[in-house]
Amino acid sequence: MTPSHRLETRSLSLAYGRTPIIEELAVALPPGKVTAIVGPNGCGKSTLLAGLARLHAPSAGAVLLDGEDIRRLPTRELARRLALLPQEATAPEGLTVGELIRFGRQPHQGWWRQWSGDDQRAVEAAVVAAGLEALAERPLEALSGGQRQRAWIAMTIAQQTPLLLLDEPTSALDLGHQLEVFELVRRLAADGRTLALVLHDLASACRYADHLIAMRDGRIVAQGSPAEVVTEALVHELYGVTCTLIPDPASGAPLLADLRRA
Amino acid sequence: MSDTLSMPHRDDAERLGAPVGERVAPPPGCWRLARGERHLLIERRALGVGLLLLAVLLAASLAYLCLGQQSLSPAGAFSALRGEGDAMAVFVVQELRLPRLLAAWLTGAAFALAGCLMQTLARNRLATPGIIGIDNGATAFSVASVVGLGVSLAPPAMAMVGAATAAAITFGVASGGDTRGYRFIVAGIGIGAVFGAVTQLLLARVDIDTANAAYPWTVGTLNARSSGAVTGLALGLALAGPLAIALARSLSLMRFGDAVARGLGVELRRRRVQVLALSVLLTALAVAVAGPVGMVALIGPEIARSLASPRGVPLTASALAGALVMVLADLTGRLLLAPIELPVGIVTAVVGGPWLLWILLRTAKRTSP
Repeated sequence: MTPSHRLETRSLSLAYGRTPIIEELAVALPPGKVTAIVGPNGCGKSTLLAGLARLHAPSAGAVLLDGEDIRRLPTRELARRLALLPQEATAPEGLTVGELIRFGRQPHQGWWRQWSGDDQRAVEAAVVAAGLEALAERPLEALSGGQRQRAWIAMTIAQQTPLLLLDEPTSALDLGHQLEVFELVRRLAADGRTLALVLHDLASACRYADHLIAMRDGRIVAQGSPAEVVTEALVHELYGVTCTLIPDPASGAPLLADLRRA
Repeated sequence: MSDTLSMPHRDDAERLGAPVGERVAPPPGCWRLARGERHLLIERRALGVGLLLLAVLLAASLAYLCLGQQSLSPAGAFSALRGEGDAMAVFVVQELRLPRLLAAWLTGAAFALAGCLMQTLARNRLATPGIIGIDNGATAFSVASVVGLGVSLAPPAMAMVGAATAAAITFGVASGGDTRGYRFIVAGIGIGAVFGAVTQLLLARVDIDTANAAYPWTVGTLNARSSGAVTGLALGLALAGPLAIALARSLSLMRFGDAVARGLGVELRRRRVQVLALSVLLTALAVAVAGPVGMVALIGPEIARSLASPRGVPLTASALAGALVMVLADLTGRLLLAPIELPVGIVTAVVGGPWLLWILLRTAKRTSP
């Protein structure tokens, strides 16, 4: 997979009815990297992700995929280039892991192309990538939270898109399950995919993202690599929290210590 | 399209001389039929469920032809079907029971298919056309045409107008966007109640004979059908059935929610309108034949879902199960208090009411289809 696909916005504004959420935003996802979109609750980060995935039509401006306005792309064409995992994804009761993952092939299929060799290989590769070989025949309900989230991500992997957008993929997971998901995200980036994650946990964003987009009140507060942009002042501005930043002894990523509400 | 991609598409590689006759392993539980570039998956469970329901439906239909005030043996029913043997038996089977059996099949299949479509659209198994007011809308307009408000359109056309009106109001009140959840259902129940009241009002204003003529519309029966309405329903089903099956792949993704469905390439807005239109059409045409027997729209898909795998939306199985429910319910209505006949709408309501309660209590948390 070549990291040549660029997703960016051009003075993008998104609104719910007449309430503007995001105004005149310019962001770009660095190709082949993991971008984390962080910020306090209600800062517009999930709305931005929905806008990037064309789930939310812009009130002004545009989202560009390789320079082309995504509103001009046919829905299926977009689904072959950009995959999205929304925060609240529900599956029909009793569906197995393998069945869920196979639905990821739909944008490549049709009524007369229901199961090609490509479909088979893509699903097998997604099962392996997400480490779900032993679980493929199990119903989703029988899985742990982390396994289930990996199954959903595997569905988007099977979609074989160079771009992958995940909305709070770890929000309901405990620490071990969060690590499962983040390690999978890193492997996908290592394969050349471009990923964007909405995260509410700044610490994980610092540890696992290459690029950070920090938002507050629908504006971008900082953009860049975590080591560069995360400062004590930024943490205070985003969350109203004072802290001391220390480098992670293992990775060098910034760690938040001595947190206090300002 | 794929030439705009800088990443070479694998499908292209295949077309450019990669193995054509390669062996592709189908997913578990499926057969793969391939011919040239075209390939289909046949899900074994779906096929089995369809054949099972068809077999039970045929058995129930045979019982339907045999049983009644004049009971026949299966052999007697078959020879009467061919026009042989006792003239009375031939008359009973060919003129009375067979047309009514066909009407039961068609209405049951149409109600249940419409129910399955609407439940999938709303992602709520309670959201059948009957519950969200479409049956009552169709009924009110049909009754209006029967008791005569200067409108002399045929009931099927009037039922269609009424169903479309009710659907439009319900979707309008529920503000279009969010078809899930209780706002939609509560709006539909309200609209249904208003149209129910309109029907009662219309019947209260006319003389007893006219009210009697319109009464079947209010309970649901196969005893007062017009052959024109049955033909209309048959044509409607022949049109809507294949269209629904053509939508099956989108429908199966719509169950995952809007964001997932759109992320996987479903043109949601267009598909929603298509699914809604099919559901309204089928419901209206079925109401024009049998009145509001809306419970079948709840029971049919429920039976189909309990038998089928969750991989797809069981459209065919729902239609077959709906036909089966209708045949059994009408047979029960004919036999239970013979020679008095119970309207099929009352039988399905007596069975469907507790069924609805059971669904509500058993799955208090889960309402998705």
